[in-house]
Amino acid sequence: MSELAISAVGLRKSFEGGRIVALAGMDLEVEPGEFVAIVGPSGCGKSTLLHLIAALDLPDAGTIRAGGHDLAAGRELTHYRARHVGMVFQLHNLLPALTASENVQLPMFELGLRARERRQRAESLLGLVGLVGRAGSRPPQLSGGERQRVAIARALANEPPILLADEPTGSLDSTAGTRVLDLLDELRRARELTLVLVTHDAAIAARADRVVHMLDGRAIQLPAPASTLTSQGNGVGWRPVAHGVNAAPAKRPRLRHGGVR
Amino acid sequence: MSFSVLVLRNLFRQRVRTLLTVLGISIGITTVVALGAITSGLKSSMGELVHGGGADFMVAQAGASDLTFSAVGEEDVAAIAARADVSRATGVLIEVADVGSNPYFMIFGYAPDELRGEPLELLSGRLLDAPQEVLLGADAAAALGVSTGDRVELERETFDVVGVYRAGDRLRDSGAVAPLATVQRLASKQDVVTGVFVVARAGADAEAVAAGIELEFPHLAAIATVDDYAEVDQGVEIMDALTLAISVLAVGIGAIGVMNTMIMSVFERTRELGVLRAIGWRGSRILRLIGAEALFLCGLAAVAGTLVGVAASRAVLLVPSVSAFLEPAYPLSIFLRALLVGVAVALAGAAYPALRAVRLSPLEALRYE
Repeated sequence: MSELAISAVGLRKSFEGGRIVALAGMDLEVEPGEFVAIVGPSGCGKSTLLHLIAALDLPDAGTIRAGGHDLAAGRELTHYRARHVGMVFQLHNLLPALTASENVQLPMFELGLRARERRQRAESLLGLVGLVGRAGSRPPQLSGGERQRVAIARALANEPPILLADEPTGSLDSTAGTRVLDLLDELRRARELTLVLVTHDAAIAARADRVVHMLDGRAIQLPAPASTLTSQGNGVGWRPVAHGVNAAPAKRPRLRHGGVR
Repeated sequence: MSFSVLVLRNLFRQRVRTLLTVLGISIGITTVVALGAITSGLKSSMGELVHGGGADFMVAQAGASDLTFSAVGEEDVAAIAARADVSRATGVLIEVADVGSNPYFMIFGYAPDELRGEPLELLSGRLLDAPQEVLLGADAAAALGVSTGDRVELERETFDVVGVYRAGDRLRDSGAVAPLATVQRLASKQDVVTGVFVVARAGADAEAVAAGIELEFPHLAAIATVDDYAEVDQGVEIMDALTLAISVLAVGIGAIGVMNTMIMSVFERTRELGVLRAIGWRGSRILRLIGAEALFLCGLAAVAGTLVGVAASRAVLLVPSVSAFLEPAYPLSIFLRALLVGVAVALAGAAYPALRAVRLSPLEALRYE
C-alpha cells in the first residue's frame, strides 16, 4: 500500500476566539494521483481545509500530513509550500507588474535555478497551458481564463506532486471555466498529480474521482439513492455516480471513517 | 527574470513615488556632502594658515574662543624665538576687516624686517617700508581691482599698495599684509600678536618643540593640525557639531521618507506578499526583496545627492565673500560618508516594513483587501 498523498484526522479550526468554528473534526485521506472534489455550502469549512493542506494555516487540533510533512507541527512549511504543493486560487493572484512568464518563474526562486533555466521552464509551462506567445503579456492584458491558466502554470512551476485548487473557475464564464477544468484534469492525468479541488458546483465535482461533502466543518455522508450506494470491501461507500460524470478513480478509493475520506 | 529585475519592477510600478523618495533622501545626502565639503574646505584653509610661511606649527592663546581673539604678548614671541630648538618664530597679528565684498578680509600684521624671511612670492612691487603701506594678496588685488601703485582703504584708512604677493594659502592670498605696528594700532591691540608661526631648528622634532613650548608657556597652545584648532578656536568644534546636527536631521528625515515609502509599498502589496509566501518564498527572501528595494532607492539617492552636493558646494563659491576664504575640499571620506548614510537610511527605513512583511501570515495577507 502506497503512502497517502494527504492524510488528515480530527482537524479542528476556529476563528475569532472560537466563535466561528470552521472545522470540527474533519477527516480526509487522499491517494496519490487521486482527484478529489470537496463540496459543500458556503461556510462549511472547505476552503479552510484547503488552506490547511496548503500549509497556509495551522489547525487548532488534529493531525495533517502531506508530502511527508507533518503540517500541524508547523515546521518546514515554507519548504513544503515551495516543493510539494501548488495552489490555484479563485482569483488568479498574479502579480500585475510582472509578465506571465515572470509570474510563473516566481516559485522557482526557491529551487535555486538560474535565470535562464527559470525562463525556459516558465515558457515550457506556458506552452503546456496553451499560452504560447503570451509569455510577455502582463495580467491586465490577459483574459480571465488566460490568467487562470497562467496561475495553473505557476502552481506547476516547481513540479509539486499535489495540486490544490480553490474554486478555480469561480470567477470565469462557463466556457473559460470548462477549459480551465479540462486543463487541470489533463495535467493531473499526464503528471499523475494529486488534485484536491474545492467547489460548490456539482457539475465540476462530478468530474472528480471522488467527492467529499462537507457540512459544518465535517465530512458527511449524504443520504443517496440506492443506485449510488456500492458495497466496497468491508463497508459502504458513497460514490458520486448519481451526481453526473464520474471519471474512473486513479486508484480504487479505500473506505475510511464511515465511507467519507 | 533575475531578482534585481523583480526589485526594479516593484520600484518602477510607482514611478512618481519612487522619484519623490529618491529626491527626499538625496536632499539629505546633498546636505551631508555639501556641508562636508565646506567644512573640509574650511579646515583645509585653517590648516594652510597654521603652516603659512613654511611654519611647522602655530602658537596661540590657549582657550581662546576664536583664533582672532587670541592675544600673545610680544615678550612671549621673543622668548619662543630665543629657544635653542626654534629656528624662526614670527609673531603675526590678524585683524579681520570688512573690505569690498569680503566681510572676512584678513590683514596680517608682520614686523617688516621679519617679513623678509617669509617665503612670500612677490608678483609685483616691493616689501613694506612705511606704516601706511600694504601688500595685497593676488586674489584680493583681483577682487578689489587694484594693483601695485594704487591705493586701498582698510579700516577707514588709506594705504599705498606697494606690492602684490602669492602665499599659496587662500586666507593670505585673499587678504593683505601690513606692518605689525600699524595693524596693532588699527586693532587696538598694542604689544600683542594673534599667534606665532614657529619653524623648528633643523634636526629637532617639531612635535617635541611644540610640547616644550606648551610646557614652558602654559597659557599658550601649539597648533600643528586642524584637530588641534579646538584648543584656540571653539568655532571649529561648533562648526563640526552643527554639521553633525544638520546631517543627522537630514538623514533622519531621509530615513522617515524611506520608511514611509516602504511601508506604503508593503501595505499596498500585502496580498502579493501573501502570494509569494503561499507559493513557497522564504521569509528571508521577502526580507531581501524589501531590503534590496530600499537599498536601490538609497543608492540612487546617494549618487544623485553626491552629485548635487558637489555642485551645491561649488555654487557657494559664486558668493564673493565666501570664495575669499573658502575652497570646498572633497576628501574620499565625504563620499564614503554619503554611501554609508545611504545604506544606513535604507536599512533604518526598510527594517520595520520588511519585518512586517515577513511576519505576515500568508493567509491573512491573501485575504487583505
